[in-house]
Amino acid sequence: MQTQKYELNMGPQHPSTHGVLRILLELDGEIVVKATPIIGYLHRGIEKICENKTYVQTIPFTDRMDYLAAMGNNLGISQAIEKLMGVTVPERAEYIRVIMAELSRIASHMICIGSLVMDIGGVTGFTFCIRDREEILELFNRACGARMTFNYIRVGGVSQDLPEGWVDACWKFVNNFDKVMETYNNLIVGNEIVQLRLKDIAILSAERAIAMSATGAVLRASGVDYDVRKADPYGIYDRFDFDVPLGQKGDNWDRFMLRFYEMEQSVRIIKQALEQMPEGPVMAKVPKVIKPPAGEVYHRVENAKGEIGFYVVSDGTTKPYRWHARRAAMVNLQLLDELCHGNKLGDVVAILGTLDPVLGEVDC
Amino acid sequence: MQGIGLLKGMFVTIQEFFRKPVTEEYPDVMPDLGDRFRGGTIKLKTSKCISCGICMNSCPNGSIKLTSVRDENNKRHLSTYVHDSGLCLYCNLCIESCPVKCIDWTNEFAFSGYSREDLIFDCIDLAKKRGYDVPEVKATPEAGEKG
Ligand code: SF4
Ligand code: SF4
Repeated sequence: MQTQKYELNMGPQHPSTHGVLRILLELDGEIVVKATPIIGYLHRGIEKICENKTYVQTIPFTDRMDYLAAMGNNLGISQAIEKLMGVTVPERAEYIRVIMAELSRIASHMICIGSLVMDIGGVTGFTFCIRDREEILELFNRACGARMTFNYIRVGGVSQDLPEGWVDACWKFVNNFDKVMETYNNLIVGNEIVQLRLKDIAILSAERAIAMSATGAVLRASGVDYDVRKADPYGIYDRFDFDVPLGQKGDNWDRFMLRFYEMEQSVRIIKQALEQMPEGPVMAKVPKVIKPPAGEVYHRVENAKGEIGFYVVSDGTTKPYRWHARRAAMVNLQLLDELCHGNKLGDVVAILGTLDPVLGEVDC
Repeated sequence: MQGIGLLKGMFVTIQEFFRKPVTEEYPDVMPDLGDRFRGGTIKLKTSKCISCGICMNSCPNGSIKLTSVRDENNKRHLSTYVHDSGLCLYCNLCIESCPVKCIDWTNEFAFSGYSREDLIFDCIDLAKKRGYDVPEVKATPEAGEKG
């Protein structure tokens, strides 16, 4: 019998592509021969836009990159500009930043887990994740008045101090987190269908993960111990006691489970930060018009999706000469073809889910 | 044994029947969004504004446009103040930068319209219509005190 390969377009309106990603699949029956991600449907030219804005004005645009963990983006660009200017941030602001960044990581991982189980058929898991994430978004809303696009972490500190009662609400959330994890364990992790769909599929070796510059949970699932918070501590991350969870095989299951472990570690960090947080100012004295001295800086932080880095070149004026972001989701997504090769069509959504791209960051 | 995990999961969902619902009864009950919520359009206290234009210049997206005229004492007066909420990033930079703190959010969160023009607001007009520009009542100085 004569057979022939055929092409199938998945997306850009496919609900499992987490936004407007289009994947051009070359299929041999049900087996994927080649998966080409076609990106750019959400491209807004943020880098170029930011080169025409003042330094402070670029921060809200980073909210629109990885909108599921925008605090991490705010943190990255603010610290990059601070490095350029040589500003020291007040202690309290540093702690608030850590708490916010870790809450953001948990919120993002909840979406990752929830949407992954929904893509492989378990809508119930998704609603649970969304419900619990709502609590985090409410915390953000109380602190800065926005649920997803914060513009909260600024050059020199954070824009406002925490409102009254916020710390207690945050304690309530982290103390309740064990119960949340138990629910997820019983409902999602223990589910045999989820296990069968994810275990031993799309194995990524440590060598390939490094060769493809993967970062974040995708890299660590392959057993590579690399987390920017440990490898190159920024802010006050060296003060906290936490582990970097690692996977063994690098299959879908490891990448999936790592998100759970990372959430637990984030809660550990938040608890320590809440305990140690001092009183005091939340904003350093920075000039109204920011004019960093001429020079360049690259600063990286560990965000939910992996390492995001900001490269900012100053020519001594009020606007950056060059503003570039290394986006983790974009780099991780390049693994899609490699991981999909030889797998079934139905696994493509699962693989994509474990890579956890967010298209705002991929297209930028 | 296969199937135990599924049963456990079902047990979790059954338990949820007896929990308090988390859904909000929007729009019958309006959610409380907190006092820091940023949304809607700009609530302008027209008489307090000194027409300095700092809010316009601090806006990253050019969503505020204002014009002013100078009177005979070289003092500026606001003649137009337009906020294009369709372009607004809700970043709060304008509100924070205002030196006399005469702008704030109106805090609606469900704008809709048939065209982009519906999202453009004339803030002076709006302030008049909705009565945002209530002059602050100064306490009358007590007798003997300097006014
Ligand atoms: S919130 Fe930001 S984008 Fe909106 S008008 Fe104010 S400065 Fe401009
Ligand atoms: S910054 Fe304040 S005072 Fe100045 S023009 Fe804007 S609203 Fe008026």
